Amino acid sequence: MGRYLGQKSISFILTALVVSLVTFLILQVLPGDPARLILGTEGSPQAYARLREELRLDQPAGERYLQWLFAFGYGRWGTSLRYGLGVRELVGQALPLTLTIAVLAVGSALAAAIPAGIYIAVRPGNWGAKGLSFLVQIGMALPQFWVGILLIQFLAVRHRLLPAGGREGPLAFVLPVLTLALPRAAVLTRQVRAGTKEALTQDYVRTARAKGLPERVVLFKHAFLNGVFGVLTVAGIQLAQLFAGTIVVEQVFGLPGLGQLLLAGVFQRDLPLVQGIVMVVAVLILLLNWIHDLLLALLDPRLRYD
Amino acid sequence: MRKIIGISINLVLALLIFCSPGLAQALHIAVPTDPDSFDPSQTVAAATGEIAFNIYEGLVKATPEGKVEGALAAHWDLDQSGTVYTFYLREAVFHDGSPLTVFDVVNALDRARDPEIAVRAGELEVIEEITALDGAVRIQLKEPHGAFLYALAEVFAVIYPAQARDLARNPVGTGPYSLREWHPNQQLVLESFQEHWSGRKPYYQQVVFQIIPDENSMVLNLKAGRVDLIPRLEISTLHQVEGDQNLQVLAAPMNLVQLFALNNKRAPFDDLRVRKALALAVNKEEVLLGAAWGQGQILHSGLSPAMPQFYNPDLGSVNPYDPQKARALLREAGQENLKFTLVLPANYPLHIAAGELVAEQWKAVGIKVNLEIVEWGTWLEKVYNQRDYEVSVIGLAGRLDPHAILARYQSDNSRNFFNFANAEYDRLIAAGLQAAGEERIQIYKKAQQILAEEVAGIFIMDPPQLSVMSKEIKGWKHYPVYVVDAASLYE
Repeated sequence: MGRYLGQKSISFILTALVVSLVTFLILQVLPGDPARLILGTEGSPQAYARLREELRLDQPAGERYLQWLFAFGYGRWGTSLRYGLGVRELVGQALPLTLTIAVLAVGSALAAAIPAGIYIAVRPGNWGAKGLSFLVQIGMALPQFWVGILLIQFLAVRHRLLPAGGREGPLAFVLPVLTLALPRAAVLTRQVRAGTKEALTQDYVRTARAKGLPERVVLFKHAFLNGVFGVLTVAGIQLAQLFAGTIVVEQVFGLPGLGQLLLAGVFQRDLPLVQGIVMVVAVLILLLNWIHDLLLALLDPRLRYD
Repeated sequence: MRKIIGISINLVLALLIFCSPGLAQALHIAVPTDPDSFDPSQTVAAATGEIAFNIYEGLVKATPEGKVEGALAAHWDLDQSGTVYTFYLREAVFHDGSPLTVFDVVNALDRARDPEIAVRAGELEVIEEITALDGAVRIQLKEPHGAFLYALAEVFAVIYPAQARDLARNPVGTGPYSLREWHPNQQLVLESFQEHWSGRKPYYQQVVFQIIPDENSMVLNLKAGRVDLIPRLEISTLHQVEGDQNLQVLAAPMNLVQLFALNNKRAPFDDLRVRKALALAVNKEEVLLGAAWGQGQILHSGLSPAMPQFYNPDLGSVNPYDPQKARALLREAGQENLKFTLVLPANYPLHIAAGELVAEQWKAVGIKVNLEIVEWGTWLEKVYNQRDYEVSVIGLAGRLDPHAILARYQSDNSRNFFNFANAEYDRLIAAGLQAAGEERIQIYKKAQQILAEEVAGIFIMDPPQLSVMSKEIKGWKHYPVYVVDAASLYE
């Protein structure tokens, strides 16, 4: 176990380094300059020079990267060029919101997908199953921002049942979570269906049935649990994607999450802010990978060899 | 059992609704971005000026008519030479409770004109010396300067207590509202100031500026009642609010000059015939209809009719829509196969729409136009800074005084990304600062004529500023500068 953790930590640090370097290079290659973006079309050369000096943009790029890296290594995240606030403070405000929404969205997608998927797998010819399959197709095809805007239009503007945006009270989370969960539930339903269906054709299911086990036990203990790995992997990827940004939904619902902050950072070429966010997201995704590995090992006896 | 569950669900819902913060007496205004900094010596973003107008005051302030009136100065006088202003201060109190003194004024203005401190010090470089008198402040100018008072009305010249620190995040002014909270990317909460020198108390105890970057969400939030007012609605979303019983749309010129910038130094645009041909081929009515839903004012030069005093109304006939003549001019210049790239800034839907329409009009006279949409950072770097472009579309924001708007076409001006160069024009703009009254007005009218005749750029329109708000709100005031006057609003 110790060796496993050691290996993981080293690859963890290396990945984070590569991520920070790539982020830095991309922001260097992009045309545009934070000082110029702050000044807009009214800036004078004097003002520009002064601002560059103040933001320390007059120093060579490589030097700035190394300075940032060392400071970050010591836990200093720097100051956002756009907001003039600590990056850690800004990320700290935005992160809980994004995490909450992401976890709620994937959680509710799973909660809907598991019964729906099993149902379709078990009763493929049934009208209910056909209807569900149809909904799944539609759910996968709809663009998220559009679903979000339709939901606001219908539930917030026309019927005023739920808030149109913001974060006042738990009800404000219903629409964004629903918007994110719908297409993900569709994908997961297909995954559950495929996994369960395949498992149902396996020998061990026939054996279980031959032993005279009740169909309920056959279905859940033998068929579904064997098909669940693919589902977990997909859900893990979905969660990672959401950590990296619920940008569209944050924009539509005016939620001050990590995605909006990242977008503002990129548009303003705000290097410390973008680096800070990217590092947090990278670490989250690496952690998620690790938890996923662990979970699979726990669930699958064949992987418990170490 | 089912009944009990139903009742408890309702109770929980009711509880949730009651727990959400009360909205009474608060006005919610939607804006797309955060301010940059509330430190008057550092701020440059229009988004800051819009909010700071309610927090800070200068010696004078802008009026909706585009003039200036006394704010912290009750009145002022100017000596015979036109170089010595004396401002007589009012009795006023800052948000932190300290009284306004002449030393606060001297400190704030000395900092504002110090190039070592203030980003926009250049705007006040005409000041020679500022002296504290008893209850008054004397400002000695290096030379007469027609635009000086207007500069004092801007956010870089506002007054704050000399002892104030960290103004960037904690502004202290004398305005009708003080800043209570600022959550970046989320909202700013302003609270009404009870001791304003005017004795007036704003109707709304709280004004909340909510940051909503997406246009459509802004409108939906307004319709759902989470937002009461959108000061600047993107024209493309106008149809979503028109006809809504609960909303009112108020339109006024924005005092913004939308133009096709032509790189005057780059061939073939260094040839007046080519510039003129491009101008003649543009049907501005069609652009106004297609890009701005017919709202807004057509322009013929670099100043908007929103500045009625200085606007030259006689330039409509300089470059009328005439595709025949445009073709002839192109032939004459040997440019029948003219081909160029039109760069459009991605963050401005209005400019993109105008660019696409005009590109079609140019194609109709045989010009090949290659459209390139670039992100704002790229635009500022390539077009504005390096001046490495052929043709582009942009809107230039209005100011209170024509000098601030027209000076950018002077050949040596750092903001002259058109590379426009005309000796007569340079002379006029310099003379405009020394002149006064009718003479000054005539100078700027002549300057506008040169911009039109020499086709510094192709001036299209002053788009409308569309302010949308709930029907209950009254007292909205349009300004020719970028501000929201929250204190004048009531229900």
